[in-house]
Amino acid sequence: MDIDLQTPDEVDITPLPFSTSPNIPSPPGNYSPHRSQHTPLIIDNGSTNLRWGFSSFSEPQYGPNIVTKYRERKTNYPLMLFGDAVEVESVAKSQAKTPWEGDVLFNFDALENALDYAFVQLGIDTPKVDHPVLMTERLCSPVHSRALTSELMFEQYSVPSLAYCVDGIMSFYQNNQSTGESFISDGLVISFSTASTSIIPVLNGKGILSHAKRIPWGASQATDYLLKLIQMKYPNFPTRVSVTQANWMFRTFCSVSPDYISLLRSFEDPSILRSHQKTIQFPFLMNPTSLFGGATGNGDEKTEEELARITERRKEQGRKLQEIAAKNRMEKLQQKESDLMYLTSLRDNYSSSASKREWDRKLKAEGFDDEEMFEETLRKLEADVKKGKKKEREKEGGIAAGDGDDVDEPMEEPSFPLVDIPDADLDPSSLAEKKKQKLLKAGYEARLRARKEREAKAIKDREEKAERDKQRETEERLDFEAREADLEGWAKKLKGEQEALMTRIKDRMKRRAAMNDRKSAAKQERMKNIANLAAGDERMPGNSGKGNTEDMFGADDADWAIYRKIVREGFDCPFNSTATLSSDEEEDLAQLQQVEQKLLTYDPTFTTQHTHASIISQRSALLNAFRPVYEEGDGAGNNRIHLTTERWRVCEAWFSPSIAGVDSAGLGEVIQNILSKFSEEEKGRLVKNIFLTGSPSQIPGIAPRLYSTLRPLLPPEMPINIEQAEDPVLDAWKGMASFARTKEQFRMAGMTKSEYEEMGAERLKRWWGSNWNGGF
Amino acid sequence: MPPKNLKRKATATDGTSTPHVPSLAEQLSYLHLPRPFKNPEYTKNLNRRAKNLKNIMGQERERERAEREKRRLEKAEKDAQDTQDAMDVDGKEVVEDEIPTYLSIEAPPSVLPQKHYCDITGLEAPYTDPVTGLRYHDKDVYALIKEMSASTAKEYLSARGVNSIVK
Repeated sequence: MDIDLQTPDEVDITPLPFSTSPNIPSPPGNYSPHRSQHTPLIIDNGSTNLRWGFSSFSEPQYGPNIVTKYRERKTNYPLMLFGDAVEVESVAKSQAKTPWEGDVLFNFDALENALDYAFVQLGIDTPKVDHPVLMTERLCSPVHSRALTSELMFEQYSVPSLAYCVDGIMSFYQNNQSTGESFISDGLVISFSTASTSIIPVLNGKGILSHAKRIPWGASQATDYLLKLIQMKYPNFPTRVSVTQANWMFRTFCSVSPDYISLLRSFEDPSILRSHQKTIQFPFLMNPTSLFGGATGNGDEKTEEELARITERRKEQGRKLQEIAAKNRMEKLQQKESDLMYLTSLRDNYSSSASKREWDRKLKAEGFDDEEMFEETLRKLEADVKKGKKKEREKEGGIAAGDGDDVDEPMEEPSFPLVDIPDADLDPSSLAEKKKQKLLKAGYEARLRARKEREAKAIKDREEKAERDKQRETEERLDFEAREADLEGWAKKLKGEQEALMTRIKDRMKRRAAMNDRKSAAKQERMKNIANLAAGDERMPGNSGKGNTEDMFGADDADWAIYRKIVREGFDCPFNSTATLSSDEEEDLAQLQQVEQKLLTYDPTFTTQHTHASIISQRSALLNAFRPVYEEGDGAGNNRIHLTTERWRVCEAWFSPSIAGVDSAGLGEVIQNILSKFSEEEKGRLVKNIFLTGSPSQIPGIAPRLYSTLRPLLPPEMPINIEQAEDPVLDAWKGMASFARTKEQFRMAGMTKSEYEEMGAERLKRWWGSNWNGGF
Repeated sequence: MPPKNLKRKATATDGTSTPHVPSLAEQLSYLHLPRPFKNPEYTKNLNRRAKNLKNIMGQERERERAEREKRRLEKAEKDAQDTQDAMDVDGKEVVEDEIPTYLSIEAPPSVLPQKHYCDITGLEAPYTDPVTGLRYHDKDVYALIKEMSASTAKEYLSARGVNSIVK
C-alpha cells in the first residue's frame, strides 16, 4: 500500500533547541552609589519574570520568577536557587515554587525568597532596605495578595514607603510621556500577561479602572492549549513533550491571522496546507532495537544470531530428551526380556516336572494365582517384547511408522465360544462368562467394521482429490488460453468481478452500520420480519382451537432463509475490537483475494493500489497533509511534529476564547463593551491611541487583526491607531523608573510605614497609576 | 538549624578529604549568602500560608458582597435624607465609580454567535457527530471520528471545554 510520503523540505524542519545551562550570574552589584541615597527601588513583579533595579538603572535585572529550596543529594547541603538556575538539577525543578498562581500572588515564602535574591544581587547590606519601593500589582489585585505583600515589605524588609502601580499603565506612561510635568495622555491600554489580558482605558492620564476588563486568557493558557492539541494529534509520540518545549513552539511558530475564516477556507487545498506547515524534529535514536539487542549499533544482526542460537539450543535439548527416552525404553525392554526369560525358564523347568502341586506352589510364590494368569502374563510379555523389538528395528531401519493397525501382526481371531450357546443351557458362572464374551465380541466386530470403513473412506478421498485436481487443471488451462487469446478482455472480466465483490462488501458494511442505528430502514424491516414470525406463533392460543394450528415453520426448507435477513451480520462484541465476520463476508473476502491475486500476477495495469485493501485504508489527501504518516522504521519521521492549523488556532483564542473552552468574550467584543460606556468624544480619544504592551504582545499579527476587528464597530471617520510598546517586555519597569525619578509625584504616591500601621495592610494610596480597590 | 547542619556535614565527609569542588548548583545557590536586610524579629504568621486560590477567591467574593451591602445601606440612607431636603436631582455629583475588584472586572461571557470549528483539524466545521458530539470538517474526518474510542473523543471535547460526565 503506497502512502503518499511527504518528502520533507530541508528548509522547513526545525530541530528542537538544546537547553543551555545557566551562566554563573555576575556577582552582586556595587551598592555604594546607592547607600544612604534612598534611591527608589523598582520591582516589577511579573508572573513569569521578576524585574528589579534601582531607578537610576537604565535597565532592570531580571530572572524567571521561580524559587526552589532543596537539599543536594550527595552532600545533603541545603541549597536555594532562583530563576534560570532552577533548570540545573531535576531535583530542584521538581520542588520549584513560584509566588504566582496564574494571576494571583499567594505563595509568600517564594516571594520572600525571590526578593531576597533580588536584594542580594543589588548588593544591599544594610540592616533594612532603606529605599522607597515601587511595586507592581495585577489589575484590581485581590486584597489578600496585597496585604501579604505589604506585610512582607514593611515588616520583613522595613522599607520606608511603598507604592503600588498597575504595570500596563506604567508602560503606557513610558511610551506617551509628554514633555510637560503632568501626564495627560489618553488611550486604551491592552496589556498581555502570562495568565490574563487586561484592557484599561486611560483618560487624562488617569486609569479608569471601573471600566477596565480582564480576559482570563494569556500566554500560559495558550501554551497549555497548544500542548493539548499536539498530544491529541500525536497520541503515540515516542517522547513526552514538555511544557517548556510547548512554550518554545508557541513563541516561535504561532501568530495571529488577520482573517481567520478565509485562512481556513484556503486550507481546503492540501498543497496550501502543506506550504503553511512547520515541522519540528525531535531527537531520536537511530536504531531503537539496539536498546534491546545489545550495545552495538548493528542491533539487527545480533538479534538474528541470537535467534539462531536459541533455536539450536532448543534442538539440542530436544535431541537429548529423545536419547534419554530411547535409553529408558531400552532398559524397560531389557527388563521385560529378562522377566520373560525367567518365566519361560520357570515354566520349562516346572511344567516338565511332574507334580502339579509343586507347580502351583511355585506359581503362588511368584505371585500368580493360577496357571491361567501365568500364561496370560507370559503371553503379554511376549507381545510387548516383540513390539519393542520391532520399534527398535524401525528406528534403526528408518522405516516410517505407517498405519499402526495394518503393520500389526494380524491378531488371532479371538474366539467366543460361549456366545452361540443359548442361555438356558449354561450355569451362572458360564453365564457371566458368556456376557463377558458377548461384550468382547461386539467390541471386536465394531473395531473390524470401523477399520473397513476407514479404508473405504480413504480410497474415496483419494479418488475425489484426483477428480478435483483434474478439474482445476482444466480450469487453469482454459483460463490460460483465454488470457493468451485476449488479455484485455480477460482482465476486464476479472475487474468486473472484483468491483461486484467490492460493492457487495460495501453494501454489507453499510447495512451493518445501518443496523446499529436505531431508526434506520434496515432495522425497521428487520423488526417487521421478526414480528411476522412471532405473529405466526401467536395465533395458537388465541384461536378457538379449531383445527391443529401447529407451527409448520421449518418443515419447508425455504423457511429458514428468513434468518439470513434477521441475523445481525457480524455482530460486534463490545469487548472485541475486531468485528467477527459472518460466513458470507468471509466467502466474499476470500473470493476477492483470489481474483485480485490473479489480476496482480498477470495484468500489468492492475497494481496494489487498486486492491480492495488499499482502497479502504486510503486517507484523504487533506488528512495526509494535516498529519503525515510515516512508515514504521522511519525513526526521524516518527519523531516529527507537524504544526499546521494549530499555529493560528491557538492565537485565535485571544479573539474568541470559547474555542478553547474558556467562557469569556474575546478581545474584540470586550473592547466594544468598554467603548460603549464612554461618550463619542471620549471614544475617539481612546481609540486614537490603542497601546499594546506585555511580552505576549510580540506575537505577530495582533495589530492588523485588531484593526480589522475594530474598524467595523466604529464610525468610519474615527481614526484608529494601534501602536506597540517600544520594548514590550521591559517598558513597564522603565516607566516605573522614570516615574520614580519625578521626586514630588512619587512621594505623593507612596504609602509610608505609619500609614500602613494605621490603615492596615489591605489599603493602598490611590493615585493615577494604581488600583482603586482599597484606595484612600 | 545550624547545629543540625554541621552534624550532617560531618557524616557526609569521609576520611580521605578531597577538596570539595562546588557543583554548579552550589555556586548558584544563595542560601548561605548574608542577608542582613531581613528583620530577624519578624515572625511570619504561619497560619496564613495555608490558603489556596479557592479560599482567596471566596474571601474576595465575601468582601465584595459586604461592600455592596454597605453601599446599598448608605444609599438608602442618603435617599431618605435627600427626600427630606429640596429635591435637586440634577445635582448628581458622584456617580460613584464603582470600585472594581478582581472579580468584577472579569470579562463577561460572549454574546456573539460562536463559529464552529472542527475539533480534529481546526478548519471550519459545518457538521456535528450526534454520537460523540464532536464537530468535523468533512467525511474523511468523520471516518476518523467513527474509529475513535470513547476516551479519545472525550479528550477532544475537553479541549473545547465540554466536560461531560455522562457516558
